[in-house]
Amino acid sequence: MLALVAPSILFMALFFVAPLGLFLFRSVDNSEVPGWLPRTVAALSSWKGAGLPEEPAFRALAEDLAALSGSTALPLLGRRLNHDVPGFRTLITATGNRVDPARPGSMREQIIGIDPRWGEPLYWQTIRRERHALTWFYLLSALDLRYGAGGGLERAPAESAIFLDLLGRTLGISGVVTLICVLLGFPVAATMAGSSPARANALLIFVLVPFWTSLLVRSTAWVILLQNQGVVNQALVGLGVLEKPVPLIFNRLGLYIAMVHVLLPFMVLPLYSVLKGIRPELMRAAASLGAAPWTAFLRIYVPQALPGLVAGASLVFVLALGYYITPALVGGPGDQMIGYFIAYFTNTAVNWGMASALGTILLLVVTLIYVALGRLAGLERLAVR
Amino acid sequence: MVAPPPITTLERVSHVAIRVLTVLVLAYLVAPILVILPLSFTSGELLIYPLPALSLRWYREFATSPLWTRATWNSVVLAVVTTLVATTAGTLAALGLQGLRSRLKPALYGLLALPLTIPPVMVAVALFYYYARLGLVGSFWGLVLAHTVLALPFVVITIAATLQGFDVNLPRAAAGLGASPLQAFRKVTLPIILPGVVSGAVFAFVTSFDELLVILFVGSPEQRTLPRQLWSGVSETMTPAVAAAAVVLISVSLVLMAVVELLRRRGDRFRAGVPHP
Amino acid sequence: MPKPSCLRIAIVVALIAWSGLAHAQTKLVVGNAGGSSADAERKVFYGPFAAANKIQIQEESFNQELAKLRSQVETGNLIWDMVSTTAINVATGCEEGLLEKIDWSKYMDPKVFQEVGGLSECGVPYLFVSGGLTYDGNRIKDGGPKTWADFWNVTKWPGKRGMLYRAEQTFEVALMADGVPPPKAMEVLAAPGGVDRALKKLEALKPNIHWWKNGAESITLLSSGEVAMAYAWNGRVASANKTNNLNLKMELGAGHVSGCQYWAIMKGSKNKELAIKLIQYAVSAQPQADFVRVISYGPANRDAYALLTEQEKATLPAKHMDKASLQLGKLYLGFWLANGDALLQRFVKFAAQ
Repeated sequence: MLALVAPSILFMALFFVAPLGLFLFRSVDNSEVPGWLPRTVAALSSWKGAGLPEEPAFRALAEDLAALSGSTALPLLGRRLNHDVPGFRTLITATGNRVDPARPGSMREQIIGIDPRWGEPLYWQTIRRERHALTWFYLLSALDLRYGAGGGLERAPAESAIFLDLLGRTLGISGVVTLICVLLGFPVAATMAGSSPARANALLIFVLVPFWTSLLVRSTAWVILLQNQGVVNQALVGLGVLEKPVPLIFNRLGLYIAMVHVLLPFMVLPLYSVLKGIRPELMRAAASLGAAPWTAFLRIYVPQALPGLVAGASLVFVLALGYYITPALVGGPGDQMIGYFIAYFTNTAVNWGMASALGTILLLVVTLIYVALGRLAGLERLAVR
Repeated sequence: MVAPPPITTLERVSHVAIRVLTVLVLAYLVAPILVILPLSFTSGELLIYPLPALSLRWYREFATSPLWTRATWNSVVLAVVTTLVATTAGTLAALGLQGLRSRLKPALYGLLALPLTIPPVMVAVALFYYYARLGLVGSFWGLVLAHTVLALPFVVITIAATLQGFDVNLPRAAAGLGASPLQAFRKVTLPIILPGVVSGAVFAFVTSFDELLVILFVGSPEQRTLPRQLWSGVSETMTPAVAAAAVVLISVSLVLMAVVELLRRRGDRFRAGVPHP
Repeated sequence: MPKPSCLRIAIVVALIAWSGLAHAQTKLVVGNAGGSSADAERKVFYGPFAAANKIQIQEESFNQELAKLRSQVETGNLIWDMVSTTAINVATGCEEGLLEKIDWSKYMDPKVFQEVGGLSECGVPYLFVSGGLTYDGNRIKDGGPKTWADFWNVTKWPGKRGMLYRAEQTFEVALMADGVPPPKAMEVLAAPGGVDRALKKLEALKPNIHWWKNGAESITLLSSGEVAMAYAWNGRVASANKTNNLNLKMELGAGHVSGCQYWAIMKGSKNKELAIKLIQYAVSAQPQADFVRVISYGPANRDAYALLTEQEKATLPAKHMDKASLQLGKLYLGFWLANGDALLQRFVKFAAQ
């Protein structure tokens, strides 16, 4: 029996779990520095971090960099350290290409002669701090934190602290979209649940047709519809609601319109299947016992609808968090969510540590929601009992 | 199962309000799809109303331009191969899991459903790094396996749902009458779960056919699929050919999903008619 | 269920047959960003060259994804033979061993590229693009803006301002508005306090800024009246005027930010010699002049100017080269290579507030 499941498990393990695991590992992977500067790292292990290290460290650096000269490892090491301290890249490549450990004399003099920045503690402290195989650097950066001069944690300078804002923006957009979906989806699901099976099936088609259409196609349709001369603006101007076209795309409004459209079926469908099972007799019984309609609604209908609402809302929220395509097509520069930056750091900035750190944080948030959901569902089952 | 009729004025007003809102929301849901359909038939160069005239010009461009035809062919080939791999593996997995009596069962279900929970952009990026290491970026089979992994949850869940009403005594009876396990499967189990298998296969096909992000990160130009081409069209040069391509994609999804829906209704009727022990 | 094996065999056969068809002629693959620029390149460079040499030139999309260059070179699995890319990516790619190092002086005269910064070890410039102050001549008829300070003056010319959603180019423009002579803008930016000065100047204009991310948007913003003035690229402006009958005017004398787009050959390309020949052809004077006629970007080869009429030279910055902030040279490359990522974050933060 298990043998039948084996091929699928193998696929999952090799082509899903393994890639994802390696990707998440990259958020702490720091193999560049200890791998390419082994002697320097060893020499710095006994240095306490104050002032400058001694001559042996300079010699170790000279030997390490000379060994890297001419290979692609040198600029890549420079790129890696540049994330910590802008300017490190040119420092590494210039030094690596010119240093000569075989030349007699003080290595310290030679290296500082090549570039005076080696006389500043900051660069040495950075190498020392990043000497281990694992690092917190990327995860901290993704939360707008960093190591301060004294070694403790401090906030990144406010002028470039964008990641907490980004997380907030992502959560915010997802939250608003979820709220709108609840407000719009509940009446629809309730109407469908209260209709005859024939009519409910007919109404269901309206929900299923967009559901079955791909996300990309629907986002494309909105790009076409929301342009300045697009249908929506034309209709609004034609009906006299507006004097001239209003920007509906490449901004937050357009993004909400498109994302709610894409995610609404995910709200309606689970909610509908739950609402379908609520027996109307209970409401009538409550009315016959003297309850006002609003009371009956709140105390009989809503508690039974809650599992569907929670299921739909959390599904919508989690899906919205990870969206990339719709914001990229319909949103403006200030509307991009975490997914966009994960892609940016992967493709353009080639800072895979940051891409992974952002991904790890996104995954953590998603997991927290699922765990909270599991708790909620568990508690609910107890409450009903 | 209809709700009790409204009595007070407040009830009547809110009843009407909810109905109106429902109509508006349902219109909002289908409007974009309905609106771009006529636009794809425009004879002009811009995607605006009113249409200068109706014409098949952009569909002709879609059918003849090597960019679009190659993309469509790539999409179909990739989706078909993915469907075969995913349906086979998924059916076996669902059958295996059904007969499993171990505590591993929920964990295995969870593992197989995992791709549904991870944001697609992360999956695509993770596969990019992984494939870059393995030298699989741009390989056809690399894409098949990636799409298979994304499609498996749908296949397994669909078939597992079908198996819920399945009576395990039937293949056992066949075995008792002398059939080998393979014969019992082919002649007894498979015909009964066939609607579920076909539904699962359709889900797998649509998942692969509509997939964009993995192709964007991991695919080579030789493997440009229809969604990939559509993405270029929307982000770079928007012509009505893009609308035509979108309509083609919509039609494929709708036809296939209609098949699934019909099978589901047929399955419901079938299950309703079969007596349970 | 139909026997899967027959279907599988049929598919494999079809795939093999189809892939066989694709390898009929020698194929040179160029990675570029598509759009109107690629259309012009196809018309003027690739088409004639492919016909003359009986080869096939295929274009594939490349949007400056450095990571893709790396993953291809590392695995030896190249998609592109050559790519159209920016100065920064040429420098980075060259350093990191992703692009072929070639002695280009063997194939062309380096002197004709002097104005645009010369030939690089790994790249050859093939077009020169200028970004500058643009406004709709139909909406602002007389006494249009003449300087970047005018651009900042929202009292005299009310309305929004379109600006590129990027740190580079935008920072240089801000410094020009703050009184820095354009040729010195990069120097001031790279010096301590330069970035702060640029951001401070941008802060003053911020409530009126409408950020644009792609070239087409900049034109739409101007033509629809959404913005009163914008920073836009000369090629796009000239094309839009020609195709859509617009009257967008560029005031390059206010100061412009100019740079080149380069071609670079990927390391390990099997069609290296062919790519060199294509590049050699495309940067020679006549094709360069023809290119200007089609899309109005400046030529990289100065000999092409002699082949143009006065009217054709109108949108080119040839007369305003003393007002150029050039995006080339060690200072520019060094600064952005070191600070690109950090400044991106500062810029994003600034724009979001």
